[in-house]
Amino acid sequence: MKKSLALVLSTVMAISLLAACSSNGNNGNNGNAGASPTATADGGQDGAPESKTLTALLDNNPTFPYNADWPIWTWLKEKTGVTLEVQTPSGKLGESLNLVVASKTMPDLMYMPNRRESNKFGQDGALVDIMEHIDSMPNLKKWMEQYPEEAKAALSHDGKMYMFPNQGFGETNRMIWLYREDVFAKEGLAQPKTYDELYEALKTLKAKYPDSYPLSIRYGQIPDEMNTNMTVNFGTGEGAYFDFDAKEYRYGPIEDNYKAMVAMWKKFYDEGLIPPDFLSLQTKQWQDMVSTGQAFVTVDYISRVDFFNNAMRKENPEYNMQFMAPPAGVPGGKQQNPYFHYMEGGLTVASTSKNIEDVMGYMDFFYSEEGRTMTSWGVEGETYVKEGDTNKFKPEFTDVTEMRKQTGLQTSGTYTWIDYDAHLSLFSEDLRNAYTEAAKYDPPAMQPRPAFTESENEVISLTGQAIKKHRDESFAKFITGSRSLDEWDQYVEEIKNLGVDKLLETYKTAYDRMQGVELK
Amino acid sequence: MAHTSVTPGVPDAEEALAFERRRPDKWRRMWQQNKYLWLLFLPCLIYYLIFRYAPMFGLVITFKDYNLFRGVWASDWVGFKYYRMFLENPDFLLLMKNTFVLGVMNLAFGFPAPIILALLLNEVRKAAFKRFVQTVSYLPHFISNVIVASMVIMFLSPTGGLINEMIVALGFEPINFMNEPGLFRGIYVLSEIWQHIGWETIIYLAALTAVDPQLYEAASIDGASRMRKLWHVTLPGISFAIVITLILNIGSVLEIGFEKVFLMQNPAIYETADIISTYVYRVGMEQGNFSYGAAIDLFMGIISLIFIYTANFISRRVSETSIW
Repeated sequence: MKKSLALVLSTVMAISLLAACSSNGNNGNNGNAGASPTATADGGQDGAPESKTLTALLDNNPTFPYNADWPIWTWLKEKTGVTLEVQTPSGKLGESLNLVVASKTMPDLMYMPNRRESNKFGQDGALVDIMEHIDSMPNLKKWMEQYPEEAKAALSHDGKMYMFPNQGFGETNRMIWLYREDVFAKEGLAQPKTYDELYEALKTLKAKYPDSYPLSIRYGQIPDEMNTNMTVNFGTGEGAYFDFDAKEYRYGPIEDNYKAMVAMWKKFYDEGLIPPDFLSLQTKQWQDMVSTGQAFVTVDYISRVDFFNNAMRKENPEYNMQFMAPPAGVPGGKQQNPYFHYMEGGLTVASTSKNIEDVMGYMDFFYSEEGRTMTSWGVEGETYVKEGDTNKFKPEFTDVTEMRKQTGLQTSGTYTWIDYDAHLSLFSEDLRNAYTEAAKYDPPAMQPRPAFTESENEVISLTGQAIKKHRDESFAKFITGSRSLDEWDQYVEEIKNLGVDKLLETYKTAYDRMQGVELK
Repeated sequence: MAHTSVTPGVPDAEEALAFERRRPDKWRRMWQQNKYLWLLFLPCLIYYLIFRYAPMFGLVITFKDYNLFRGVWASDWVGFKYYRMFLENPDFLLLMKNTFVLGVMNLAFGFPAPIILALLLNEVRKAAFKRFVQTVSYLPHFISNVIVASMVIMFLSPTGGLINEMIVALGFEPINFMNEPGLFRGIYVLSEIWQHIGWETIIYLAALTAVDPQLYEAASIDGASRMRKLWHVTLPGISFAIVITLILNIGSVLEIGFEKVFLMQNPAIYETADIISTYVYRVGMEQGNFSYGAAIDLFMGIISLIFIYTANFISRRVSETSIW
């Protein structure tokens, strides 16, 4: 750790000197201003960074709404000299972004919800290509060598980087199977390893609790996520997906494994093991079912472990919601969860900004070890203490949401590279255990997320939508029985006629292009 | 108003005055007579110019590949590309049909409902009861669509929904309402009526107060029953309001609120519940394609214009009531 830090620092110094020499104009020495207080080669006095003000449009999360008095802003200023003049969206973030872009009143930094958006604005000419400034960002450069996949995922179709890459925070997006451990133990049921075992377990539970629907999911509320979960269990994909074994793109919903999945869910439906209205079930209804013992198995975000346990144990100390290993769908299939632990959003830099070099210097700090520790844990002595090799939050912080609310840590625009142990350390033992377990069932790699050109995007939004709609409609009809599974072959034909080949070709082209892109 | 000369600097003031008097005479008189009315009208005029007429030039983006950053003028022309895209979409006919059928059903049942309620309320003798009914029937109008859609789904749920509990209590099998494509339109229209019936009675109740009580007296003297009075006095008395609202509603038959349909639909009922606005939302979400969305909107706008024009034309011929 020490060694690498020294290495980082020396690189910082060397490169910042270079940057200072090579860039002309008055922004020359900003490259190192934010990097580290020891890099005083040509900067201000004794490493105290020059004070600057940058403007930013950040997202506003209702759970921890933006607060200018958060200590995080002071800490960032101490390290980088930068004060952010923040505006938050008056309505939806997307609308505010459209507005500032169209009216040419873009702040220096803008938070964008996903790469598609940033790539689109980037192509339009509204954003800075970060790769062009990589030489003034020694930390980011080094970081990209450490996390090449994450860096590549942030590239647009022609190898430009319009959004700062991130790592670590995506862990919150994990989705897992959850089950009522106490009920399973009481009924003498083991954790199912396959869907067949799951089916048997659900049947036993239905027999014991006839009013229940043992398996309940929020399909109607988060259909894309649920489709991904269900198909990954069966070794296929919810749409065009990359098959890592065959190294090619395939369309999941016309494969035999997908048919097996549909048949299984149809069986669940027919025998009342899932709620008959699972397609339209509201989140509230689902929550009620899972908490009041009308459902014992579910699939949702990993944090639901604590969500249900904390709420229910007060009245029912027995209540025990735990991580369940994902059952394998097909005989001999792998038990795996989808790869959801990545984050799509991030900061972008306006091409109209007059402070591009300052922004780059500021953002580079986030990719230093120091920046990572600070944006994950805060400041030693103030928010956390060191115990040997590990960090620990001070005892006044007991819960992640409260911690974020009080300090502003990990709120919009204050992080890119996170030590997720910071969150883990505040979780309950059950949830920590879920994280340890969940990592065992990760797929071999993240699904590639190639960036598309505008005409490719058009194919995906038009052809892709038509196919997706037919897939969803057919899925619903097959399961509820308004269409017989005997018509499967006909359905495959229909999907193909809607242009699956064209869709796959689009993905393949984009993927190949991305493979060809070198990180400079 | 200050006296402004059209030809400043002309030495012969008399000639200039004469010139001014000849032409704008009529306008000046109009201004003199109605200046306060004109002043009152001014904010409305400005509103329409700025917020209704000026943005119409933005429609040019439907023929361009609109680039938000470069702006409307610098974007590239693409001709009818987005219109073709919409017309060639495999779901086009289904979407049009669904939108049209849902709109017409909503009009056919949703339009008479508030009239009937208004007529019923008009016959109520107890003012307290009348006011109570009015207030209660207004209330749902103020509930947001998100809540209404959620309520509908929960009430109709076969797993613990109120309606299905009742059906089961009566000894029938529960119905999976939101899974039946055939039921969606009925559910939607009923929920629309429930939501807006009270609000929409306001205009008819207002029209009813304008009916001359002497007509009722005269009808009573002639021995007309209550039904007769309703038919020959009340209805003709508010027919003007009915026709105007009908024409306006026909114009907006295709403008079905996106939000509620979107929140109520699920893949099992796409074949009846997928309408143009929900399609635009799904496609727009993928790409943020303003040009495509605007092209569809303009297309629908033209159809609506044809509808309202036709309705108005027929009405002018048949009943001599029209909005222009």
